[in-house]
Amino acid sequence: MPPTPLARGERLYRWLLRLYPERFRHRYGDAMLDFYRQRRGSAGPGVWPRILFDLFVSAAAERLRTEPRRLGERITVNSLLQDLRLTLRGLGRTPGFTAVVLLTLALGIGANAAIFSVVNGVLLRPLPFHDPHRIVDFRHQDPYWNISEPEFKDYRRDVRPLERLAAYTGYDANLAGDQEPVRITGARVSDGFFDVLGVAPLLGRTYAPDEEKPAQAPSPVIVISEAVWRTHFGSDPKILTREVRLNGVPRRVIGVMPARFGFPEAGTGVWLPLRLNYDSLWTRNNHYLLLVGRLRPGATAAQANAEANLLSHRWPKDFPETYAPDQPLVAVVQPLRERVLSSSRPYLVTLLGAVGFVLLIACANVANLLLIRGEARRRELGIRTALGATGRRLVTQQLTESGVLALAGGGLGLLLAWGGVRALLRLAPATLPRLEYVKLDAAVLVFTLAVSIGTGLLFGLLPALRAARGGAAAALREGARSSSSRGGSRMRRALVMGEVALAVVMLSGAGLLVRSLRSLQQVDIGFDAERILTARINLPPLDYQVDARAISFVQQLEERVRALPGVLSAGTMGWTPVVGGGGTWSILIDGRVVKDIAASPSADPQQVTPGFFPTLGVQILRGRALTEQDREDAAPVAVINEAMAKKLWPGQDPLGHTLKMFNPTSPWVTIVGVARDILSRGVGKDTPATMFFPYAQAGKSAYFIPRQVTIAVKTTQSPEAVSRALSRLVHELDRGAPVSEVRSMEAVMGTALASRRFTTLLLGWFAGLALLLAGLGIYGVIAYGVTQRTYEIGLRQALGADRGSVLGLIVTEGLRLTGTGLVVGLLATLATGQLIRSLLVNVGVTDPVTLFAVALLLAAVAALASWIPARRAMAVSPTEALRGDG
Amino acid sequence: MAPRQTPDDPDALLPLRPVELLLLTMLAPGDRHGYGLRQDIIDHTGGKLALEAGSLYRHIRRLEDARLVAEAASPAPDDERRIYYHLTPFGRKVLAAEMLRLRALVRLAERHRVITPARS
Repeated sequence: MPPTPLARGERLYRWLLRLYPERFRHRYGDAMLDFYRQRRGSAGPGVWPRILFDLFVSAAAERLRTEPRRLGERITVNSLLQDLRLTLRGLGRTPGFTAVVLLTLALGIGANAAIFSVVNGVLLRPLPFHDPHRIVDFRHQDPYWNISEPEFKDYRRDVRPLERLAAYTGYDANLAGDQEPVRITGARVSDGFFDVLGVAPLLGRTYAPDEEKPAQAPSPVIVISEAVWRTHFGSDPKILTREVRLNGVPRRVIGVMPARFGFPEAGTGVWLPLRLNYDSLWTRNNHYLLLVGRLRPGATAAQANAEANLLSHRWPKDFPETYAPDQPLVAVVQPLRERVLSSSRPYLVTLLGAVGFVLLIACANVANLLLIRGEARRRELGIRTALGATGRRLVTQQLTESGVLALAGGGLGLLLAWGGVRALLRLAPATLPRLEYVKLDAAVLVFTLAVSIGTGLLFGLLPALRAARGGAAAALREGARSSSSRGGSRMRRALVMGEVALAVVMLSGAGLLVRSLRSLQQVDIGFDAERILTARINLPPLDYQVDARAISFVQQLEERVRALPGVLSAGTMGWTPVVGGGGTWSILIDGRVVKDIAASPSADPQQVTPGFFPTLGVQILRGRALTEQDREDAAPVAVINEAMAKKLWPGQDPLGHTLKMFNPTSPWVTIVGVARDILSRGVGKDTPATMFFPYAQAGKSAYFIPRQVTIAVKTTQSPEAVSRALSRLVHELDRGAPVSEVRSMEAVMGTALASRRFTTLLLGWFAGLALLLAGLGIYGVIAYGVTQRTYEIGLRQALGADRGSVLGLIVTEGLRLTGTGLVVGLLATLATGQLIRSLLVNVGVTDPVTLFAVALLLAAVAALASWIPARRAMAVSPTEALRGDG
Repeated sequence: MAPRQTPDDPDALLPLRPVELLLLTMLAPGDRHGYGLRQDIIDHTGGKLALEAGSLYRHIRRLEDARLVAEAASPAPDDERRIYYHLTPFGRKVLAAEMLRLRALVRLAERHRVITPARS
């Protein structure tokens, strides 16, 4: 019978009882086990932390009580103070040693504290909602992604594990308050949205259910965020009596949400009621909603997922005209936390692992230094033992020293972390969620303290045990001539090999990430991103209800921009390449009739002015580009990209073929050109089939003319130089049209890779730190060995060995030390490489170039680290070396 | 820490720690086992004090060392594992001495108008 969790827990508990002193365990072990059984029988899994805490604390207390009694000597406050005094005096006598140890520890602990504060803020802290573990994200898998209104209605009614379900959709709008209009990220939300998240407004109220019902006029109310309230309305306490203009429509503010209620996005500034039209059958195919739900107490996301899919799998049978049989509708219900954090988790975990490695290397270095120091003090320890100090007492003193060093190093590390976190926040990409929570708080302090203590034990234990074992008599007999004992030197070499191995793993990881980043940066984007300025412009919909106004605005703006000095050309488009992406629309081609929308082909629309192709340098492979002659009243035309040509007209020339929207009133559009694929929807994504419509014709041929556009400007010099002039021109044309996201195309590409660049940069830094520490470790061991062997080296030289052979001897020893570590490290890289596989692009875990470079780099560092002490030893003349006592 | 050499004078052990006072009081009506003591204390304190095994048995160890509590013969012979504890006569004496001390304290608090006297 496989062990049940209960039995496994009991075994663990029985094993943990060993923590107690033997006497206590004999007396109460059985009773405690019995107690445990009864306790587990009546409690959930949440009791383990309490049980463990109690166990550790009481076991420690019981041990502290019993241990001293077993010994002749007691650990008392007095003896501890004495140890502390001895330690401080000893450390003060060797300031160089102390400084190196403290710096090493501060770097190791500081890096950990800094990265932990990011991990704590981003990954560990609960989402700022009521009972956040019960909140789930609900959406569809590719190719639907989103959810239509009738589907939402069905899910809300039939998925029983969900207590509530609400819908929302992104909505960017122009907000006019006290100042100039600004573009603001908003969301339209269904009723129950705020109840699902369980957050009450800071002021006023949220929406009543009937405010969502279809109405004739736009609903005149709005909920705003604390940030909008503060920055645009000066935290006006009478805000609830005020009206704001959103896209030119006056709305009454009914509520202000508290700061940090950042949903669906951290920067969401306004929430509008979403008015749903449940009755239209046509809307079943219009997938545009995202859902968020609250589980019933005790229900799981997996249950909700299963029920939702029972429902969605039935629909293709019930509505065959909507869903294609080869594209099943798959619902994905997962904890909201997963959805928000899953993309940043691998990066952060990698970083946390990296700083852990750095700390281990730092520990090995410090342990090495302590061991060497311990060797130097063997005589002192020997005398103390001879005078009656017990081994235990010596261990305590060693541990006191480690503890003092660790805590002081931890304190310094905290200072470093304080600076480090500020630097991290400046470097961190805005795409990392929840950055506002990253700070040095109590959790980080506790973590740092724990790490410091753990570190102290880790690097202090080996030297302490050696101190306890070292025979007093032997140490005294060896006298001043004592060279390092064999065991000590073996231990030190093992530590350095371990360090080298860890450094290899880190350097390989960093190297693989650097190569991934380079390969992504070299991805063919299909156009020339150099010297291009882009900006988003939002035309207030009420002022631009007529298509002609939008067309003329864009035309005038482009004319004026082209007239600016230093501007080569300008073009306008519906969405920004690289990061943007249109929806995917169903179309018909070549007059072919399809049974229903499920059987129709699809492609992404992009609405562009003729300036688009020359400005971005998009190559036209066949036919022609769009021109000024493709006016509103001219015959409707379109240019398609390679991907679309391949998908819909494989092996044919698409020129002259026709397409139209899946809509009876749209006209047939003639394809006049094929353009090269350009990057869209983010780096590393395939370019979707895309059709380019003339901006002026899009109202007829592609449903509508977008009022939110991106303008791209090709410049002769740095694109940033014209950014101010561009904003000024837009304002001259229309003061009510906000300009946002003014940045160069290279900056746009930068944001697409920001998370990855951030991680790569940090990992590179940590790997460099690891290399430095490992180099210092090798240096330390070789340098100490050389001092020990000054006599021998002098003797060899006196007997006629030439400088080269002695130098070679020492450097070879350093390389041998490194070589073993290198082999172990490379093996470990292959074993652990799977952990970062998800972060690698176009490069395998066993990438020979990276591994070879790492090996070479480490060998070079090792050679250097052993060459320096070797040279120094050679500088001593043989006579001097032989005269000294070795 | 309870002294290792326990004097026979109950007053030397006073005042008792709050948890030990509770444990002794719960043992006064009859023998109890560890988990039972935990439940008694949870009931009495309205859940504010829920002892886990480690700290409970540390207290019992202390009380046993001080000879206030001793293992009792199991009332259920079919379950040898379950260990019951009972209040020793000395323990009862100490508990009574502590209660008298507390009663004097309560009377004092009443006179100082910290609490109103209970009508009994």
